[in-house]
Amino acid sequence: MIITGKHLARRTLLGGLALPLLDSMTPAFAAAPKPVKRLGYYYIPMGANIAKWTPGADGNSQILAPLAKVRDHVTVITNLENKNAYSPGNHATANSGFLSCAKAKMTEGSDYELGVTVDQIAAKEIGRETPLPSLELAMDLHNSVGNCDNGFACVYQNSLSWSSANSPLPAEAHPRLVFERLFGDGGGSAELAKNASILDWIRSDIAGLQKQLGAGDRAKVGNYLESVREVERRIQMAEKRAGDPAMRDADRPIGVPASYGDHARLMFDLQVLAFQADITRVLSFQMAREASTRTYPEVGVNDPHHPLSHHSNDPEKLESLAKVNAYHVGLFAYFLEKLQAARDGDATLLDNCLLMFGSGMGNPDVHDHENLPILVAGATGPRHIRYKEATPLANVHLTLLSRAGVRMDKFADSNGLVAEL
Amino acid sequence: MLGFVFPLLVVAAAAQPQVAMFRNYCTGCHNAKSAAGGVALDKELTSDVAERVVRKLRTRQMPPAGLPRPQEPVYEAVVASMTGTLDRAKADPGRTDTFRRLNRTEYRNAVRDLLDLDVDVSSLLPADESSHGFDNVTVGELSPTLLEKYLAAASKISRLAVGVPPNAAGGHTVFTKPDLTQEGQLDGLPLGSRGGVTTPYNFPADGEYEIQVRLWRDRDERVEGLLDPHELELALDGERLKLWGVRRPQGTEPHHLVDKDFNVRLAVKGGPHDITATFLKRSGALPESERQPYQARFNADRHPRAQPAVYSVSILGPYNASGPTQTPSQKRLLVCAEKTGACAKRILRTVLQRAYRRPVTEADLSQPMRFYSQGGLEMALRAVLTSPQFLFRIERDPAGVNGPYWISDLELATRLSFFLWSSIPDEALLAAAERKTLRQPGVLAQHVRRMLKDRRASALVDNFASQWLYLRNLDAVSPDPRQFPDFDDNLRQAFRRETEMLVDDVIRSDRSVLDLLRANYTFLNERLAKHYGIPGVYGNRFRRVDLDPSTHRGGLLSHGSVLTVTSYSTRTSPVIRGKWVLANILGTPPPPPPAQVPPLKERSATKAVTLRDRVAEHRANPACAGCHNLIDPVGFALENYDAVGRWRSQEEGVDVDATGQLPDGSRFDGAAQLQQAVLKRPENFVSTLAEKLLTYALGRGVENFDAPAVRRAVRESQTKDFRFSALVQAIVESTPFQMRRTS
Repeated sequence: MIITGKHLARRTLLGGLALPLLDSMTPAFAAAPKPVKRLGYYYIPMGANIAKWTPGADGNSQILAPLAKVRDHVTVITNLENKNAYSPGNHATANSGFLSCAKAKMTEGSDYELGVTVDQIAAKEIGRETPLPSLELAMDLHNSVGNCDNGFACVYQNSLSWSSANSPLPAEAHPRLVFERLFGDGGGSAELAKNASILDWIRSDIAGLQKQLGAGDRAKVGNYLESVREVERRIQMAEKRAGDPAMRDADRPIGVPASYGDHARLMFDLQVLAFQADITRVLSFQMAREASTRTYPEVGVNDPHHPLSHHSNDPEKLESLAKVNAYHVGLFAYFLEKLQAARDGDATLLDNCLLMFGSGMGNPDVHDHENLPILVAGATGPRHIRYKEATPLANVHLTLLSRAGVRMDKFADSNGLVAEL
Repeated sequence: MLGFVFPLLVVAAAAQPQVAMFRNYCTGCHNAKSAAGGVALDKELTSDVAERVVRKLRTRQMPPAGLPRPQEPVYEAVVASMTGTLDRAKADPGRTDTFRRLNRTEYRNAVRDLLDLDVDVSSLLPADESSHGFDNVTVGELSPTLLEKYLAAASKISRLAVGVPPNAAGGHTVFTKPDLTQEGQLDGLPLGSRGGVTTPYNFPADGEYEIQVRLWRDRDERVEGLLDPHELELALDGERLKLWGVRRPQGTEPHHLVDKDFNVRLAVKGGPHDITATFLKRSGALPESERQPYQARFNADRHPRAQPAVYSVSILGPYNASGPTQTPSQKRLLVCAEKTGACAKRILRTVLQRAYRRPVTEADLSQPMRFYSQGGLEMALRAVLTSPQFLFRIERDPAGVNGPYWISDLELATRLSFFLWSSIPDEALLAAAERKTLRQPGVLAQHVRRMLKDRRASALVDNFASQWLYLRNLDAVSPDPRQFPDFDDNLRQAFRRETEMLVDDVIRSDRSVLDLLRANYTFLNERLAKHYGIPGVYGNRFRRVDLDPSTHRGGLLSHGSVLTVTSYSTRTSPVIRGKWVLANILGTPPPPPPAQVPPLKERSATKAVTLRDRVAEHRANPACAGCHNLIDPVGFALENYDAVGRWRSQEEGVDVDATGQLPDGSRFDGAAQLQQAVLKRPENFVSTLAEKLLTYALGRGVENFDAPAVRRAVRESQTKDFRFSALVQAIVESTPFQMRRTS
């Protein structure tokens, strides 16, 4: 360890990022103190133009420049890898490995298998006290055909969060549906009571099925029963909160904004509300899908993202890729600024959370999973941690869990913690 | 683990033609020692390996192009001999998943058929993930979040159906696509109108609603295209509610005032209505057909709108609501009117039977009746719509059976209706299943014929074909506006319509499925005809147009839809097109790429290279060449069509080179010859379609052990000129559709 953030001037360049560099040799075995209440995970597909992402000697970065206003809350971590993401379907496993660091079983059938993702481990612990243990969000409303990697069911490419090795969680992209999950459909406790009694019946109905089935199918029914119990728990939590004024005042979004940017900002607004009203403490948000061919004309990129990401080191393509990356970072910065503006007890919402942002792919041109673009925002920074040796992404996951008070000795292929986070 | 082991296929008898052929052409690579691709042909083959070999030989993919090949009659004899042996083996029906949740489309259709209620499911449930090309395969999960959504959906639907006003005033907003040209009359909008949008909406109750219309604005928040005065009409079920004048702000008047007052508050009867906002066509305006060539108008920088356009229509409410009376749904549901328990029971019995797709017992009714007494019909219906017996298709192993078995008539009825209609069985089909007559001679075939003629069979177009042919991806396609300034949503919708109408025509007129490839006609409206350069088609209505070869159109391979969804936004992609043809037409999808993709060589900025050269460069790498040698030459045959499917003979001043070859080594130049090469062995295309239909029908991937069933379907349909109904009948009668095995 050479220097730490405390020894540096808080900000050396007005409006710049100027993240102080910290070369780190080895993973540590003890995490930093300061517990946090909330965790969030933000995914961008197809890696980044890593040269323009990584802060230079002056601590600045073209892609990360939009974070300037919240730079005191940002830590960039360089030289992370995710070995288990290598597969014959690297787009599928870049996504599925991001929060699981697990190997995906190669199958297009319903026998898919991965690992529990870090957000869901957190949800089981710190999500117990909130109506929703976690909230999974995404941006793509339509599922396309033939865009998923050969040999891999689309769930790998599209679901970031898995609550068990074979339970991918669907993510919600429709703002109104997100709102209704947070605040209900306006029916109040009468509505909740009706749902509770229906669930009660469904539970006995499903349990009745269990007796007639073979072992494999019985396990499936067991999962359904768990889902029923979980929804019952959520209803009980919501009943306690019915009548909470924060739940009535918020604006109910109606449609889906036509532009990507407006849609993304609305999704971030809803996440601020979710944290603020303490409806959930764990979020995951896929800002676009792997192999997405979305274009970003709002920042002058008319070429689709996926072919662009196969840049062959063409400077023009690399510049366009950097623009797409910076655009996603800018939307995330919008969220961070809103969290910073929101009070949470004596501090701000941003002070009380840790949010990881980045991709499960490194260099998209070759589909690798090393030197990943990863940063953590919230109760951390300003810092640029640079590992000499490639270090497992799972170390970051383990550290965030630990900071949130979730005790684990190891997560997937982790070999230590990121003490400086 | 599977309880069923592939039987060993003995190929020792020297009389079998494959023995000599393998020795002469194959075992150089495929021997026990080197076993290229994990296949050794100098020993006994399992049926699994034998099926892989048959596939490679049938499509002439092996031996690889360039190496010595057997004569055609040898190929044919070997394939016939091997398939003969394989087809005689004991059939394995495979095992479908025990629990299969209705996917979003099926849920919507089931609600429609159960309650006469069309709901916008995309605002109720998340989209389903696809596997093996279809979104009804990985449908075994029920996460807490999904269960919550089903509860919420059931609440909304049962209120709508019974007529209970919603908890809170809600809303529905429909936006027009940013790239929709609104200069002329649009599909589905009245004659004499210009631009605008129409949307169906289920008004949840009798009450007051507010309807707002907003106009498109440019980046400076100015209303686009507003030069002269216009008139904007708002209509409910075709009846004018309001006519607004749209005027250009004078002097420094701000633009936000233009549409500020385009709001109406009025009483509407609950139930489905159509809301339409459109401009009246100005008498002096140039008729669309005289404008040559077509000009897309939506892009403020390139071709700005010449007239204002509708951006959104919002419906808010209800306010001061009371329950609706006499909606179609209430008519369907309320088979009796008395507010008595006996009447409720009659209603619920009717609903339950169709929802559960089986006869109902008193025990089935007891809990829904309890809910009825607690919270009325709405509560009971809500419970039924959340019941796993409605949400899941459950296939149970009969007691005491081990191995393959015939599924029950009720299970067969459900499989059939979800296959042909993506929905629940109707009463006639259920009744036949209850009487256990489905498997009597001719009964099933007669139901298939009846069901294919039914309106609900359109699911085979908008659910099956839209996934098979990737039409679903059109919505996500946005060609680069600089290169393709004329691409607009009008064209996107026309693309979809053309392909849907061709598939629909083949199904409804029961034509040969080969017509999908070789049709010398297509379906066009003026917009699409202009795009294709075909004269004499006027107006928005689609009609059948006969084509001569000079139009370079006819058949799926020349459809703008297919050519566009297989392109990037800036250029064509021979790789994507090649892969699409191999996977969806020829049935030989390339294997997945290697785990570590070697980087492409850096592109030199000084050297101008054609796309063909660049793609050739990546085939120079042996790690890529194995597959790309098969993929790319197929895609190149379509190079005469640009990234939005327009015909071109030159690209950037250079003649288009559309030469290519199929994996069987046949060479061709251009799309027409590719089509001929594909049709030379029509059974390959028909097998592919049969496999896609079987995947979709079963909701599981087609495995090697299904190959005998696929071959049989192809053979049986061949005797009936490959007519669509013959293919469907053969699939419905096949072992995997009729049977299942224990795990």
